[in-house]
Amino acid sequence: MSQITLLSSDNVELKVDKEVAERSILIKNMLEDVGETPDQAIPIPNVNEGVLRKVIEWCEHHRNDPPPPADEDSDSRKKSTDIEEWDQKFMQVDQEMLFEIILAANYLDIKPLLDVGCKTVANMIKGKSPEEIRKTFNIQNDFTPEEEDQIRRENEWAEDR
Amino acid sequence: MDNNQRFSDRPTSLPPPFPGQSRMSVPVSLHSTRLVVRPLPTLPVEIIATILDYVPVSTLMRCARASRKLKEMAYDDSRWVNKLVAMGVWNEGEARRRFEDALKKKRLAQAKLAEEERKRRAASIGASVETRKSIGMGDTLFDVNEQEAKANGSAAAVAKLAEDAELMSLNTQSEPRAPVDEKPKLVGVDTSDPTLTVLSDVRSARGFARQEYGRVYAALWPYYIDLVSARNHADPVVFRRYRNPEDQAVMLRQLGVFSESDSSLGWSERSSRLNSMSSIFENAVLREFEGGYEESDYDGRMKRYANVLILLNGGQGAVDLFVAKHYLMFERERLGNPMDCFTNLHSADLSMEPARQFFTLLSEAVNEQSSIIDRIFPPHIDVMIPFLERIGEDVIGEYISPLLEESHDRDIESYLKCVTDIYFSVVQFSKSIHPAKGSEKTFTEDITKIVVRIFEPHYDTYLQEELDHFRRLCEEEVESWEKKITDEYTATESFYLSNINRQADKIDFLASFKKVILMPVNAIPLPPMKPINLAFPLPLPMNPFMRPKPAVTAPPSISDAPTDNPYEITPDTQINGGAAPPTPISDGQMTPQQQPAPTTELAAKAAILNTRMEGIRTLFSIELALDLVHKAKAALERAGCFVRFKGRIGEEAKEQCEQIFICLINILGQRHVKSGFDKAVTHLSQYNPRELSTAEEDEQVIVKPLVQFMELVNVGDLIQQMLDVFYEQELVAHKLTDKNDFLNPAIKEKKRFEQMLDERVAAGLNTGIDVLIKEVDYVFAKTQKPTDYNPGIVGDQNLPTDLGPSEAARKVVSLVASHTKLLVGSTDKNVLDVFNQEVGMRMWSSICKHLKIQRISIDGAIVLISDINHYTQFIVKLRNSGLTQYYNALRELVQIYLIDPQHAKQMAAVIADGTRFKGIFTVEEVYEFVTRRSDWYQIKKDVEKAMYGFGCSVM
Repeated sequence: MSQITLLSSDNVELKVDKEVAERSILIKNMLEDVGETPDQAIPIPNVNEGVLRKVIEWCEHHRNDPPPPADEDSDSRKKSTDIEEWDQKFMQVDQEMLFEIILAANYLDIKPLLDVGCKTVANMIKGKSPEEIRKTFNIQNDFTPEEEDQIRRENEWAEDR
Repeated sequence: MDNNQRFSDRPTSLPPPFPGQSRMSVPVSLHSTRLVVRPLPTLPVEIIATILDYVPVSTLMRCARASRKLKEMAYDDSRWVNKLVAMGVWNEGEARRRFEDALKKKRLAQAKLAEEERKRRAASIGASVETRKSIGMGDTLFDVNEQEAKANGSAAAVAKLAEDAELMSLNTQSEPRAPVDEKPKLVGVDTSDPTLTVLSDVRSARGFARQEYGRVYAALWPYYIDLVSARNHADPVVFRRYRNPEDQAVMLRQLGVFSESDSSLGWSERSSRLNSMSSIFENAVLREFEGGYEESDYDGRMKRYANVLILLNGGQGAVDLFVAKHYLMFERERLGNPMDCFTNLHSADLSMEPARQFFTLLSEAVNEQSSIIDRIFPPHIDVMIPFLERIGEDVIGEYISPLLEESHDRDIESYLKCVTDIYFSVVQFSKSIHPAKGSEKTFTEDITKIVVRIFEPHYDTYLQEELDHFRRLCEEEVESWEKKITDEYTATESFYLSNINRQADKIDFLASFKKVILMPVNAIPLPPMKPINLAFPLPLPMNPFMRPKPAVTAPPSISDAPTDNPYEITPDTQINGGAAPPTPISDGQMTPQQQPAPTTELAAKAAILNTRMEGIRTLFSIELALDLVHKAKAALERAGCFVRFKGRIGEEAKEQCEQIFICLINILGQRHVKSGFDKAVTHLSQYNPRELSTAEEDEQVIVKPLVQFMELVNVGDLIQQMLDVFYEQELVAHKLTDKNDFLNPAIKEKKRFEQMLDERVAAGLNTGIDVLIKEVDYVFAKTQKPTDYNPGIVGDQNLPTDLGPSEAARKVVSLVASHTKLLVGSTDKNVLDVFNQEVGMRMWSSICKHLKIQRISIDGAIVLISDINHYTQFIVKLRNSGLTQYYNALRELVQIYLIDPQHAKQMAAVIADGTRFKGIFTVEEVYEFVTRRSDWYQIKKDVEKAMYGFGCSVM
């Protein structure tokens, strides 16, 4: 089993099985373009060591997963399966790390990991107030209180009773 | 950013502070500065959008309040349209139409829009309040909404544009009421409860999908979430609220549909819980339905609970139960035991009466059931077909399987009959069933399909057996016939050679044959008639015996009525009237009622011929052929039933029918006719005229094998025509085979048969002519006296008193004439021509050969000339110009015998004159003839001198 080296944004080299690294479509395509196993480390400029280790941990665990079905949007609903137990534990990190993992998964193009991250976030914000949601996403309230109240009334039907 | 951080410290219940306030709080500012140094990562918009896909609707709507960006994402119409699509209530066409309408009216209405909106709002609120009161139900936001939607019905586009606002305003209206209260107040009594129809009321309008979904969600979500979290089936609010099983069914059904739109995390667990709840409910209702069934409470409980089940999930469960519970499924024996059909324990005799009884009873029971179905089920549910499917499978199938198996074990023939009988019974049965009210228009087709299914397990065996049985039967027949013939051979041999009553037989036969042919015979759809082959090589003497097609398929034309094509007149009635009476075997053996015409006509022909055919009965029997054709017909008729089935069975049945036909041709053609012909040809070739002593003095010497052979040809023709009729009538007319498909095995086989017949006939005729010419040679050798042409040789010069032809010439001519006449009327004109030409040519060479061994004196030349004239006269009667030329040349030739020996020079001139004989005789040949002069050795010198001298002078 050939190994390749990844170089994190903070210049730490991490050795990883090629098969594991190829869970990332980005790396997989890159390796395919290069042709053979490169001697040099592959730089991953957007991901620091801690996050990269975490991502690799996930990839190790899921190295034998079957490839996701090709048809992306045929039945989006049916794909939103629940998070499996290992992933749930894996995602028990602070929010910052969680977001970093999601960003890394997005950058490295690891769709299943991205999905797990999104689902975890979805679970986090479930039932939260708008304010908490803003906090979670680190976004600014650009509504006037009247506007916000208007939206609340508009969607009163959706409130859990 | 800094705003956000500050707000986060506040309790969420408080309204967000105004942005302006923030500047005053220094510690907060500091705090945020710290965070700026190491900011929390933010997620890109598309990832947030993905996250929103996973959150429940309630959270989604809170997200909408977080910021404009999030609101935009949450409000995105396609998100909501997808949910409506998932529930199957979105109608794209309707949406487009609305959109276009709205666009049109929007321009017109834009100016008044604001005012309209206000007015409408006021009016609709009033109206809905009123309705609420009149119905006497608790007022809910959805109730109001619903009523309003109805009120809105007519005001199309403007209303739609205003809808968003309306919904909002209504929400505002109902806000004071606690949502929790509304549930117990609602008593779903009937379908006027809007919650029960909320799904069917959804409208498809672009830009309003969120509002539409909102209505559905508000109506169903509480029940849904309550139901899936309920611990047992008594708990859920939906069952407590709706007491009516009908209403409960409707609600469950709606919830089932609604669950399709639930795509947030955990949906699969929720929907499976819903499903299990539904099935608990369904089972309870089914028990009620069953209870009603046991009490035969058709109009009461059964009808009601059938309806409930239909409301729930289309009523499949009720239909299945109803079908499965029917007493016929358990008490099949009451209708009859298949073994009753066997009249006794071991024999194969079958009586179809019990089976018929069985089907009558079954038909009654089913029709009774049909009316019960009408009473229980509403018309849009088709119960009859599933019911009949079960009946077909469990009752009929179970009945006929043992019956067929048993009869198959006992006797094949009765099995074959049994299959078709049962088939007709089943078809009869299927026709006797009245469709119930709920039956589709395709009822008849569906029944046919059921019938097909019933027979599916049997038809394979059946078709195979049919073919095997037919083949076996045919082979047996032919074999037994052959055996019989061999047994009788010794007896027949003498008959065969002794010519007892042959003459009368022949004339009778030909007369009757002519009669048959001349009658406006038949309904034979003519095979494509090739034009009479006039290009047939008339002057070519050799090997013209390939019979042209028309000779085979067309009837032999009659010389006195050559233009009368009997096939052109084909009235069926005449056939029956004209041909049927003289048929001795047409009644007993072949009277299937369906097609009397061709059968009778065939029988007529065959019968007439058969009675006259004694002479050739050792070769092959037309009666046997007819018999085989009957059997094939019977087999085809039975197998033909299955051709009506579409699809695989029909195709295979068709194929099998063709196979039967092929089998018929094979056995009849290859085994029977061919061997008959072969035998006849052998007879002909073995025929030795010298052994024939009885006919020696007879004026009408007959080469009997040839006569017989000609008759054989006719019979062969007839059999072939019969097969052709059979093919047209039974296979093509019933669409069992495609006539135009030249690759079709049946057609190929038929062609092969025809070809085989042609070859045999050609070979036979060839041999026949050989025999005839041998006879001619024999007559020459036997009767030509040396004194005929050389009267002076014996001594005294008594000149012949009569100057007619010699006895030998007369005999030869009468012999040949009798045979050529024989063919007139019984063979096609073309064949006749060819035959005559060949006979004439061969006779001519016989005469030449004969001449070359005679000695001819000048006196004898007179006799010779009259002999030759006699031949020529006969040939002229044949009307064959090619032949006449040959005989004319011969006439010219014999004149050299008249020339006086003194005129050697003239003789030499005649010999050398090639044009005189039109190139038919060469100089050498003429010379050879001259050498037969009795005085040749005296004149030889002079003639040769004159010839060569003459020639020298020219040179």
